[in-house]
Amino acid sequence: MKRNNGAYFLAVAVLILAFTFLLFNEVRIGNTIIPAGKDIRQGIDLKGGVYALLYPEKDDVTDSDLNAAKAVIESRLDNRNIFDKNVYVEPEKNRIVVEYPSKGGADQYDIDELGNIGSLTFREVDDKQRDSRGNYLPLDDKIILTGADVKSAKMAYYQGKYLVELEFEEEGSKIFSDATLRLKDQIIAIFMDKDLLSYPKVDEQITEGKCVITGSFTAKEASNLAGNIQAGALPFKMTAKQVNFISPTLGENAFDIAIKAGIISLLLIGLFMTIMYRLPGFLAFIAISALAIFQIDIISWAQIPLTLPGIAGIILSIGMGVDANVIIFERIKEEITSGKTVSTALELGFKRAFSAIIDSNITTLITGVVLYVMTSGPLKGFAVTLVLGILLSFFTAITVTRVLLKFTLSLGFGNKTWLYGAKRGA
Amino acid sequence: MFDFIKNRKIFFGISLFVIIAGIILTIMNGLVMDIQFEGGTIMQIQTYDKEYTSEEIEALVIDAIGKKPSSVQRLSSMESKESSILMIKFRKSDALKKEENDALLSAIKERFSFDNINASYETVEPFIGRELLNRGLLATLISSLLIFIYVWWRFSAMSGVPAAATALIALLHDAFVMLAFYAIFRLPINDTFIAAILTILGYSINDTIVIYDRVRENRILIRKSHNAELMNRSINQSLSRSINTTVTTLITIVVVYIFASIYNITSLKEFALPLIVGMIAGVYSTIFIAGPLWVMWKNRAEKKISSASATRKA
Repeated sequence: MKRNNGAYFLAVAVLILAFTFLLFNEVRIGNTIIPAGKDIRQGIDLKGGVYALLYPEKDDVTDSDLNAAKAVIESRLDNRNIFDKNVYVEPEKNRIVVEYPSKGGADQYDIDELGNIGSLTFREVDDKQRDSRGNYLPLDDKIILTGADVKSAKMAYYQGKYLVELEFEEEGSKIFSDATLRLKDQIIAIFMDKDLLSYPKVDEQITEGKCVITGSFTAKEASNLAGNIQAGALPFKMTAKQVNFISPTLGENAFDIAIKAGIISLLLIGLFMTIMYRLPGFLAFIAISALAIFQIDIISWAQIPLTLPGIAGIILSIGMGVDANVIIFERIKEEITSGKTVSTALELGFKRAFSAIIDSNITTLITGVVLYVMTSGPLKGFAVTLVLGILLSFFTAITVTRVLLKFTLSLGFGNKTWLYGAKRGA
Repeated sequence: MFDFIKNRKIFFGISLFVIIAGIILTIMNGLVMDIQFEGGTIMQIQTYDKEYTSEEIEALVIDAIGKKPSSVQRLSSMESKESSILMIKFRKSDALKKEENDALLSAIKERFSFDNINASYETVEPFIGRELLNRGLLATLISSLLIFIYVWWRFSAMSGVPAAATALIALLHDAFVMLAFYAIFRLPINDTFIAAILTILGYSINDTIVIYDRVRENRILIRKSHNAELMNRSINQSLSRSINTTVTTLITIVVVYIFASIYNITSLKEFALPLIVGMIAGVYSTIFIAGPLWVMWKNRAEKKISSASATRKA
């Protein structure tokens, strides 16, 4: 019996220490980096940035149209060096959501430009004509083909490399054949409006209108390039019907303050629990701190952006998580009062409280899930942290607390009833 | 042992008073809808210039874009004693288009001689707002239904339907109290408020479940007691459980609210306040409303059965 308690205690202690370590340190495994908990990804309501809803100016837009448009918008943002962005399609609402961090100034006003139709062109380039970043400039008199000539562009995977398979329409194939003959060993650059997408070198004449573009593409790069070429351009204009901009400083302060609020809440709860339930209360405080640490680490690893309501969700789930402990400890107190030994009371406490804990947590989970499905933007973060917190609290409130309690009991001094705030036979 | 059932009329009365006050005010004044549901624009600017009045800014706005803002507020900001936050709101049809937005920002930039303006703005078109509102209401409906089904299933020992129904009534009570609070104090309703209602729906049911769980258990232990005694005993036994679970969660939310108020983080403030109201309403409805209602329901149901069998005998 004693050995078991010790082993479980060790396991739990190691777990808590490990997660605490990972809160402040990142870990490298092979090529992947597991970020530290404290380096959690912040949502734009904290980092500052743009949140916009783009609607198509055309009726009967299909889902694949929207997806093609999404790829175009993403590469337009890429071309403006905005990489940490979140662009996604909401097909049932017939719109595209665009989020990206921004410090203000020029970028956020260009939202409408993102929705412009634009045009895709294949052009010859002049080696000497480049812009400040070393990219080829689109020359007006060197257009070979346009997006209209493209039949299809698909991403493919062949012999360990990602590439783009390109096919031109009949007319375009002929023009392409002439061009590739003339421009052998030279570059045909692909532009979206004035932005350079790709600059493949012509290896040989292509007469059938089918070719591949190879290079050191990642899967995403190949997919984006294919998507851009396939779309040609945006098939229809999109306009922004809602644009929110959050200044980073207003967000920054909010983050620090929310963290402070969280820490103070934690300490106050610890105080309350220790006063009300003495020893178990204090152990519950340890368990609940572990809950917060686990949550932060997991959210950081999953790279889910943490929003302000998300922080509120963590804080709230701490409060709710400790409820399970209240239920258990009240039960233990009752059992001790009715004359049971401490160790029996502990067993009964955990066992009998179980059904109430399950029921109350499941109902909160139900609303958490409904919230997640039906909200959008920063509020989704709240649903995520709340649900995650409650799921984790099953573990911390029950298992962790129980292991800690049984361990202290086995150490010998845990037997005094006053440690539990109860008087036998009262 | 306090008799919750006998004194139930007082408790019902208090709740009804608050809710009816809310309803009357809603009918009289309407509910204040935030721009998120109605549509409109909110612009927040952080300024270090102490010398400005709301009237002056209002005039500046009219001058710059020809629209009158629905409100101009000045909020203090704690992290720097010198700065304040200027909040300009436009309602519904006055929502700013992009050109107006830009024009206003440059007018403000000029007035305060900023090099870099520290502004946040949010514009919502009314149709998006309406969609959000509908979604919020739908979410509330779905949650209520799911919770009802769950409680019905788990508490069949308390005759599923009365248990689920009274629990649901207690929840709706909490939602109405939250709405009444907002109506009385004319606070704007937005999707954060809806999220708060959903959270309270999921949370407030917890204390009710704590008591019903005890009833479920006592039913087996104390076979012969009738409904009122069973419920009274269960409530009294669960009193510290109910109160303490609410206190721990309240601590967290009150701390968040205090911090949000001091530092003027509107979004957190708007989130924490309805939660606080909802939680207090929640513990009240659990202890004083749900239990007594269940007793009344069961008693009436049993009376019907016994009178039915009496007439059959006769």
